[in-house]
Amino acid sequence: MVAPVPTEKASNQEAILTVENVSKRFVSGKQQVAAVNNVSLTVYPGEFVVFVGPSGCGKSTLLNMIAGFEKPSEGQILVLDQPVTRPHPDRLMMFQEHALFPWLNVIQNVTYGLRWKYRFKPRFRRQRGRELLKMIHLEEFEKARVHELSGGMKQRAALARALAPDPKILLIDEPFPALDALTRQKLYGDLQEIFTQTRKTIVSITHDMREAACLGDRVFIFTGRPGQIRSELKIDLPRPRDLNDPKVAEYAQVLMKELEDDSSEEKAASLHPQLPTLT
Amino acid sequence: MKAQTLKNIGAGFLPRAHLLKRERSYQPLRASSEQPPEAAGPRFRSKILVLGFYLLLFTVWQLIFVFHFVPDYIFPSPWQVGKRLWELATDGYLWPSIKATLTRMLIGYMIALGIGIGVGLLMGLSVIANRCMKSLFLGLQTLPTAAWVPISLLIFGLSDKGIFFVIIMSAAPAVAIATSDGILQIPPIYLRAARTLGTPRYAMPLRVVFPAALPSIVTGIKLGWTLGWHGAVSAELIKSSVGLGFLLSMGRELNDAPQVVGIMLLTIAFGLLLDRFLFGLLEAQLRRRRGLTKE
Repeated sequence: MVAPVPTEKASNQEAILTVENVSKRFVSGKQQVAAVNNVSLTVYPGEFVVFVGPSGCGKSTLLNMIAGFEKPSEGQILVLDQPVTRPHPDRLMMFQEHALFPWLNVIQNVTYGLRWKYRFKPRFRRQRGRELLKMIHLEEFEKARVHELSGGMKQRAALARALAPDPKILLIDEPFPALDALTRQKLYGDLQEIFTQTRKTIVSITHDMREAACLGDRVFIFTGRPGQIRSELKIDLPRPRDLNDPKVAEYAQVLMKELEDDSSEEKAASLHPQLPTLT
Repeated sequence: MKAQTLKNIGAGFLPRAHLLKRERSYQPLRASSEQPPEAAGPRFRSKILVLGFYLLLFTVWQLIFVFHFVPDYIFPSPWQVGKRLWELATDGYLWPSIKATLTRMLIGYMIALGIGIGVGLLMGLSVIANRCMKSLFLGLQTLPTAAWVPISLLIFGLSDKGIFFVIIMSAAPAVAIATSDGILQIPPIYLRAARTLGTPRYAMPLRVVFPAALPSIVTGIKLGWTLGWHGAVSAELIKSSVGLGFLLSMGRELNDAPQVVGIMLLTIAFGLLLDRFLFGLLEAQLRRRRGLTKE
């Protein structure tokens, strides 16, 4: 049985990301549609945070706001006490599609984000690119064109490209969705390895409970539209975690239950006292 | 029932063998160093077929001439046309004319490309510029290239500048529209990826927008070449003393049907040659690098 754990983690630590009472409304025709409603959360350095929720619950919108693609209608988002106003490589986003540039080859793609920071150091850029390619086991494909890579290789290259400028927070919109189960599982392993090695702060979205339980230190569960945080679950399992580990499955079940109870008004914690605590 | 019929019709018209070949040649995973297996046989055979088609065409032409379906003075035989072209070449008319037309084309087309791509980038990047200029350029594009000749005569008289003007006005709108359309059709994900990777605003056009829109721009410059070529020959018809267009109008004045037909064939040949070899190869290279086709 998984032991209940308190969610108040390391509150003495300096927060890297603070979302304060953020709401987002879109105008569609004459109506206003609320996508995110009064969301507040804090992320600490070196955490892997996952947002789960039904599709259309505004978790992508929230991630876009953190990345700086969209502005909150209300509230504010602070990264290291600086308000987010526009996209910046410190808050680098990885997309559902790999979004590698087809006009560049693999290493050019990977080093793309270094171009502006290290403008006059092409040798450094190349060296760093090679290191990253080695880390994701694509060193033989340095000169390959993007379309010559398989789906999993493309995602790995996209991950290397995102890590290259050394972002403070890596935002992942649905890690590796369009891949077969085996490749995904391998990529979860790679991602966790990179996460434990580099101690990057990662904020990710998913609607796959197993994935959330496998990857996250803390999982925020969102309600349906308009998106609000329903509860938070701390996943206290050692890394690397395996997707098929029964303990991961157990946590995934808690998350699933919590989401299913979305329609009911009652707190899940009181309904499932035998399962890990939700706050 | 109806669907069945439609399907059958479709099957008849679609180049099925070609599609099947492409389907079979699909290889999802290939390291860049590996080469696809050579398929020399079918390609060679299709070349023979193309050659046979043209031989047939010339035979029919010759037969029409031999059986006098049309009067000789308006319908020369392929032999007469070839002979006349040879005469023009040996008399020293042909080469200077080809050179003159190609030179004008080169200069005019380069300017047109500069203007077209520049305006296209502006139209693609600025919503306001796009709203203002899109209809104007679409309108200009509907104007037949020869319709630019009278105004160029009025402005530039009989000088070569007028020919450049016609080439530019014929080619530039097509290039501008293709460029701006290409930019507007860039998948937004590339723009977002570029921004999150820290691309500064000033670097976006060159580093992201232009390369992302390049396939469409290449289509535009191909179309621009064809339209510019139309413009060049149209302008030369009226206002030049050297050039392919001039040789055409000279042939008409001398009632020299073989010359008219010969120069027409030559104009087609040059247009086709450059389209195929210059732009065709450029486009093929681009498509191969981006993985848009697998050969």
